[in-house]
Amino acid sequence: MRYEITVKVNGEDYEAYIPARRTLLDFLRDDLGLRGTKKGCDEGDCGSCVVLLDGTPVNSCMVLAVEVNGREVTTIEGLAKGDELHLVQRAFVEQGAIQCGYCTPGMVLAGKALLDVNPHPTTTEIKEAISGHLCRCTGYGAIVEAIQAAAESMDGGQRASGKTGRSD
Amino acid sequence: MIDAREKVTGKLEYGTDVVLPGMLHGKVLRSPLPHARILNIDVSKALRLLGVRTVVTGADAPAMPYTVAGQVLYDEHLLAREKVRYIGDEVAAVAATDPDVAEEAVSLIEVEYEPLPAVFDPEEAMQEGAPLVHEAHGSNIANYMNFSRGDVEAAFARADAIYEGRYVTNLQHHGYIEPHSAVAEWDSSGRLTLYIPMQAPTLARMTYASALGISPERIRVVQCHIGGAFGGKLEYKLHPLCALVALKAGRPVKMVNTRREEFTASLPRMPMVMYIKVAGLADGTIIGKSLRVVADNGAYNNYGPGIMLSALLRHDNLYRIPNLHAEGILLYTNKVATGPFRGFGNPQGIFAFESALDMLAEKLGVDPVGLRLKNASQKDDLTSHGWKLSSCGLSECIRSAAGAVNWTGKRGAHGTGRKRRGVGIACCLHVSGNRSFLPFFDGSSAYIRINQEGKAKIFTSETDLGQGSRTTFAQIAAEEIGLNVEDIAVALVDTDISPHGMGTWGDRATTLGGNAIRAAAIDARRQLNEIAAADLEANPKDIVAENGRLYVAGAPDRSITIAEAAKIFSYKQAGAILTGQGSYVPDDIVSVIDPKTKYGNISVAYPYAVQAVEVEVDTQTGEIEILNLAAAHDLGRVINPSAARGQVEGAVAQGIGYGLTEEMKVENGKVRNASFKRYDVLRAPDMPKMTIEFVESNDPNGPFGAKGLAEPALNPTATAIANAVHDAIGVRLHELPLTPERVLVALRKKTEV
Repeated sequence: MRYEITVKVNGEDYEAYIPARRTLLDFLRDDLGLRGTKKGCDEGDCGSCVVLLDGTPVNSCMVLAVEVNGREVTTIEGLAKGDELHLVQRAFVEQGAIQCGYCTPGMVLAGKALLDVNPHPTTTEIKEAISGHLCRCTGYGAIVEAIQAAAESMDGGQRASGKTGRSD
Repeated sequence: MIDAREKVTGKLEYGTDVVLPGMLHGKVLRSPLPHARILNIDVSKALRLLGVRTVVTGADAPAMPYTVAGQVLYDEHLLAREKVRYIGDEVAAVAATDPDVAEEAVSLIEVEYEPLPAVFDPEEAMQEGAPLVHEAHGSNIANYMNFSRGDVEAAFARADAIYEGRYVTNLQHHGYIEPHSAVAEWDSSGRLTLYIPMQAPTLARMTYASALGISPERIRVVQCHIGGAFGGKLEYKLHPLCALVALKAGRPVKMVNTRREEFTASLPRMPMVMYIKVAGLADGTIIGKSLRVVADNGAYNNYGPGIMLSALLRHDNLYRIPNLHAEGILLYTNKVATGPFRGFGNPQGIFAFESALDMLAEKLGVDPVGLRLKNASQKDDLTSHGWKLSSCGLSECIRSAAGAVNWTGKRGAHGTGRKRRGVGIACCLHVSGNRSFLPFFDGSSAYIRINQEGKAKIFTSETDLGQGSRTTFAQIAAEEIGLNVEDIAVALVDTDISPHGMGTWGDRATTLGGNAIRAAAIDARRQLNEIAAADLEANPKDIVAENGRLYVAGAPDRSITIAEAAKIFSYKQAGAILTGQGSYVPDDIVSVIDPKTKYGNISVAYPYAVQAVEVEVDTQTGEIEILNLAAAHDLGRVINPSAARGQVEGAVAQGIGYGLTEEMKVENGKVRNASFKRYDVLRAPDMPKMTIEFVESNDPNGPFGAKGLAEPALNPTATAIANAVHDAIGVRLHELPLTPERVLVALRKKTEV
C-alpha cells in the first residue's frame, strides 16, 4: 500500500508517494538523498538517526514516513545557514567533540533541541538529553562540554543583542 | 580535526552512504544452527520473487579456502559448503532491487540441515571425542604455543610467596556505531572496485583476491570514511561476499549489516580462560610467572594466534621478570569467530596478570603500588622477551595515577558500612608500530603532492578510523613543510593510487605512518628549498618556511610563497606536480620474531598506560560505582592534545564496559542480547569523573617522539576496577564483567568461608 504525503524538510516542500512500511529514516536517506542522518541500529537504541520533527527530537527509524504528512522535519543538513554553522555545530568543532563523526549529526540535533527548550541546562540535564545517543569513540565528555559551551555562547549572544534570557 | 566541519554538517560520506547508479541491494542468509550439515538448498522460491536479481550459494563460491593476511590456517569460504559452524555462518546471499525485497528473498530460501553435536566451551573443545568444528583440521586446536625464559620452576621453588588463580574474560563487541558495509562493482574488463570502510585496504586487497580466487591486480579497494572500527574493521567476509554477489548479478551491489548481524556475525573480542601463577620474594621482587591460556577462537581462525600471543606475553615486559613460562591453546568452538579488538589480547592477559600481582602483594605484605614500582621496567631495558624499551615512562605513570586517586590516603580505608570504598591500580604496556606479520614487509611509505596553489595532499595507506590520524598526519607534514594545517588534505586510501601499506592496527598509524609522512614532507621541503634558493639567489640551507612562505633566514622580505615555488617547479617540468616521497623502515627488522620461541623486538616503540580507580561497592546489591578514575599515559609526545584526550576518554568508556557491563551472552551458540537495548554500552550519564595525565618520554623512534595511545588506554581499565573492588570488599573477582550478581556470589562465598 502506498500513500501520498507532503512534508517540509529543512524548509523545503516535498511531495512523495511512498509505501506504508517506509521509515522516516529510509525516506530521508534513500528517497530524498539526505544521508547526513545515519542508520546505526534501525531499532531506536543508538540515536544516530535523530532528526527534529516539529522541533522535537525523534529517532527517525521509529517513525513511519506517512506519520510526518503535513509536518516539518529538520535534519543535520538543515542546521547551518549557508556557510555559517549553528552554535551547537561550531561548539562541537571547537571543543573536539567529534571523532569518527557517525553519531555527531544526532548528537548535534539533540543538543540544539535541548537548548531550544532549556537554554541554561545543567551538566546532568545535558547528559540526560543525550542519553539516548550512543557514542563509542569519545566517552561523551567533550560532547557534554560542547553543548554547555554552545549554551554559554548563545547566552552571550543574546545578552549582546539585548534579548532577555530563558523566562520569555 | 581537519574533517570536523564535514562531520558536523552531515556531509562526510561513510561506507553506508555510498550509492552507485543501477545499484542492487544484497542480504545474507545466515545459519540458524550452531553446527549442522547442509543437505540441500532450494532457492527457487526466492528467485521467483519480484525484484530479485540473483541468489548465490556455496556452489557459486570458490572451492579453495582462504584466510586473512599472513595467517596459515586456510579455514574459510565465502559461503558455507558442506556444513555450518556457528549461528550466523553465511549460507547464501541475495541481490534485489530494494533491501526489503532482498530480506524477503532471504526468508524464502529453503535449507535442509542435519544438526550435528556442537561444542561451545573451549575447555570442552579440547577433550577427546569433542565434536570437531573443522574435520579436515583433525582437531579443535587451531594453534598451540609453549615457550619459556629462564627457569620458572626453580623460581617457584625458592619463592617466599606464590599466588595461583584462574581468570575468565568475556565476549565483548566493538560496538562501532557504523555497521559493516560494502559496495562492489565490476567493470567490463573484469576488474573489481570495492568501496569499503576498512582499516587496512592493502591487506583487504590481498585477502579478498584469495577469497575470490582472482589476482590482486584485478581488485581496487577504495576506502570509505570509517564510522568507528576499534580493530573490528579489518578483513570482513561481507566485503568479498558482496563482490561475489555483484559478479553474479552483473550489477553493482551494496550490502550493509543490520545491528543484529553485527552482534551475531562480526568479529568480537576473544574470550579466554587463564591459569596464572606468580612468585615473589619477601622484599617484593617478582621472580617468576607462568600463564596458561585457553583461548576461544570461535568457528574460524582469523587473527587468533596473534591475539593469543599478545595475551600470553605482552604484560611480562612491564616488569623485570627473569623466569617466565607461557602456554597457549587456541580452540575452535561453534560460536561466532573472534578477531582483533582494541588491545588485541592484551586486556585479557592483563586481567589475569595484574589481578594476580595484587594477590601476590597481599601474600607478601607489600603495597601493590610499591610492588609495581620496585619491579617496573625502565628506559633502555631489554626485556626477557627481547623487547627494546627505547623510552619508558612507566614508573612516572604509576606514581601519577596513584597520586591522583590519593592512593596512600585511601588504600585499605574501606569502611564498615553497607557501601565500601576501595582503590585499585593496573598497568599496561602496548606495542606502537607492531612489526608486520608479513615477513617480507614492514614500515610505512607516503607521498605528498603540492599543487600550484600551494595546497598539499598526503597519500598514505594508514587509515583514519575516526581517531583523527588524518589530522595528526596533516600536523606533522605542516610542521616540516611550513604550510598551515588548513592547506593540507589527506587522501582516503585507494589501492590504485596510494602507496602499498599495512593500514591502521597495532597502534601503527602515528608511529610508522607519521614517520613516513614526515620523511615525505622533508623530501618535499628539500625540493621547495632548492627552488626558493635559486629564485632568491640564496643557499638552500638558508631557506626558512613558515605559514606557506619560503624566505631567506634573517631576511624575511626576501621570500616567495610555497604556491609560487610549486608553480615554478611545475612549469619547468611540463606540468609535473612537486612530490615528496618518504619511507620509514624500522631499524632492527632483520630479526623476524622467532616463530617457536616468540623471542624478539616486536615493535618500534612501546607506550604505557596506568590507571587507578576509586570505587564504591554496595554490599547489598553488588553494584559497583566508579567514584574517580585517573589515567596516566606515556604516549611519547602529545601531538594533538584534544585528540589525545578523546582517545583516552573513549577507551576508558570501552574499558569500563569491558569491566562492568558488556558481555555478549551466548547460550547454546546463540547470542541472547544481540541489540544495543540488551548489550550495555556506557551512555553519557554512566561516565565517571576522570583525570588524565600525559607523560612525555620522547621516544627516539616516534615522529617528534610520539607513540601510540588508542589501544593502551583500554587495556588496564577493567583490571584496575577489579583491584579496587578487592580493596573495597576483600574478595577477588575472577570473571569479567564484574556484574552485581558476581559480586554478591563472591561476597557470599567469603562469608561462608
